[in-house]
Amino acid sequence: MENIRLKKITAIWIIAVLLLFVAAITLGIIMRLNQADVMHLNPAKFYEDMTVHGLTMIGIWFVAGMAALNFIMERYVKTSYSANLIALIFTVIGVVMLWISAFVGQFHAGWTFLYPLPLRPLWDSWAIALFLFSIAVLGVGWLIWTISLMAALLRKYSISQVFAWQHLSNKNPEVETPPFVLISMISLIGVLTSLLAAVVLLILLFAEFYTHGSFTNDPLLMKNLTYYFGHTIANEMLYLGLAVIYELFAEISGRPKWKTTWYVTIAWNLTLFFVLGAFLHHMYMDFVQPESLQLIGQFASYLASLPSAAVTVFSIIVAVYRTKIKWSMPNLLFLIGTCGWIIGGVGALIDATISNNFVLHNTLWVPAHFHTYNAMGNVLFSLGFFCWFSTQFSAKEVVDRMRSLKIALLIIGGIGFLAAFYIAGADSIPRRYSNYPSELAAGKSYALLGAVSAMIYLIAIIMFFVNITKRCLKMLFTH
Amino acid sequence: MLKNVVYTLVIITCLCSQAWSQPQSDLREEENIYEQIYNAPLKLIDGKSTTVLQLAEKKPLILALIFTRCSGICSPYLLQLKENIKSQSADATKPFNVLVLSFDSEDSVADMVNLAKRFELLDDNNWHFAITDSITGLIKSVGFHPVWNDNIKQFDHDALLVGINTQGFIIKKLLGMRGESDVALLIESINNEFIPTYRLPGKSSLFSCFNYDPKTGKNTPGLGLLFIALPALIAMLLLFGIRFVVRSKSS
Repeated sequence: MENIRLKKITAIWIIAVLLLFVAAITLGIIMRLNQADVMHLNPAKFYEDMTVHGLTMIGIWFVAGMAALNFIMERYVKTSYSANLIALIFTVIGVVMLWISAFVGQFHAGWTFLYPLPLRPLWDSWAIALFLFSIAVLGVGWLIWTISLMAALLRKYSISQVFAWQHLSNKNPEVETPPFVLISMISLIGVLTSLLAAVVLLILLFAEFYTHGSFTNDPLLMKNLTYYFGHTIANEMLYLGLAVIYELFAEISGRPKWKTTWYVTIAWNLTLFFVLGAFLHHMYMDFVQPESLQLIGQFASYLASLPSAAVTVFSIIVAVYRTKIKWSMPNLLFLIGTCGWIIGGVGALIDATISNNFVLHNTLWVPAHFHTYNAMGNVLFSLGFFCWFSTQFSAKEVVDRMRSLKIALLIIGGIGFLAAFYIAGADSIPRRYSNYPSELAAGKSYALLGAVSAMIYLIAIIMFFVNITKRCLKMLFTH
Repeated sequence: MLKNVVYTLVIITCLCSQAWSQPQSDLREEENIYEQIYNAPLKLIDGKSTTVLQLAEKKPLILALIFTRCSGICSPYLLQLKENIKSQSADATKPFNVLVLSFDSEDSVADMVNLAKRFELLDDNNWHFAITDSITGLIKSVGFHPVWNDNIKQFDHDALLVGINTQGFIIKKLLGMRGESDVALLIESINNEFIPTYRLPGKSSLFSCFNYDPKTGKNTPGLGLLFIALPALIAMLLLFGIRFVVRSKSS
């Protein structure tokens, strides 16, 4: 009974995520078409789209990772269905509030809602309140879910076991910590920290908003908190996807299950610590931030990502090199997704290096790298899980005749869409422009290439959406 | 125990309410920034008519708001502006005009001619003296709020300089009597040069990351830094707390 409930709620998460993903891609295409001068949006409308597009994407791929994590975690520990349900209800309410604040209240402070912009009287006061409450509702739901999953793991594993420290001194310890458990815990602590940063941020924003300016905030503190939350959660959602890969890749490929070793432990424990300082690389342009913190930002960015990336890539290479693999849609998506994650990660590290950031900071290089590890990384991790989940409970074997076409469309569309960002970034085309002036006319051509490629990517996603949703709906309406 | 909690809460509430009832720090220099100035029609003292935007289109503009009957700040403020501008090294890459505009509807073109003569600026091509019949819209757009005092027959008003770029956007405002370096920054700003600035925390800003001491020019860590450390600290406490609670329950 419990398993059936978990299966059904996971199916609902998947349908909701894919539905919102199609809508959010459409908003992205509209923005690129506007930049290409094919469509003509009011600039305020463009920024409304940008606000909703960014926050929806971050939100849905975070909950997609969490839903997958929750489903697989049930193999090791008993998880709370109520916390999962509360998170679902709060997410739906939060997303509706967010969309209303932007599309009805015309709130358009961007997905980073950097202080003091959200509190500027450029839109109705109720829209500011609704936006802040939407973030609060989403945060509360996710916080409950995160704490409940942490509690589930800590019920079975001690603190040293959950971080796999026993693997550092002993090759065959008495209690083995599966890599899935280790990476889940590392990610959940990061998620918890980022959500707590959001709580502090929201309290300060509410304080200024409701005291009508008698209490004012320090812009430097607010920017630090914004990226502490935003950057960290965007990173952690990738790790949620990686936890799933560590559990499923070998299993789906018909290979022996991956085990935790001393180097896997070190790599992921480093990630736990350093990912919390990596957000400081967003502050390079803030000259009042002390230089020491800027340097910490650069080195934390390297140390948070390089060891875990090296270990993951090594594990995948060992698993696939000169071995007979049972290739299916999920493990193909995991493999391509890992490539996207690595390429996007390299792009991110180039940008996180202080000397490069001076050149790249406000260019389209920035959306280029984060779209790479999201659209061609994290999204594929979750799509892989969705495909695996929706087919594994099917009574008869699912044969996907369109597999090659879907993968081809995904790769062609994805590469074209990202190349348009990277080339434009290298060409110094600035980001966050709704319309390019004549001096930046090249930006229009790149935007058109990006829009057309994104449409190809969207076709692939719709094909996935139709197949996966059909199977999930069937699961929902059968016992 | 409960008594202590109540006392603590009362003390915290009192401190917070006191802190929150502090007057708002002077952020008026940041009001209306990056908004377009009201395009008021102008009557210049050379007899020509133009508008604020047309004048700004030729060269970035420094707007000084005065009235000729002023017995207070207007004269020293204009004099200092003149001295400050004179002391700026001539730089053809940073052009600008100064518009001295009366906000008093009683002022006439003749009054402004006399004012220009008094300051020996009548023949200076960079200085324009003018009146307008649309002063209400203009002062509202720059956040300038003079109040008429009938007892002394004078306006109570700020000494305000407004920097406007060639597109007519308000780029920077300077309140009060300001030195050469501030005026130099204003000129650079209206010529679209990046000027690093950081708002000094006022009394209503309690949680700054750093406290800047203008006397020594040094930063000391502030309470805000604690807020940045707080999420990680609470997360760690929660980790140990959750483990403690689930262990206690299971045993």
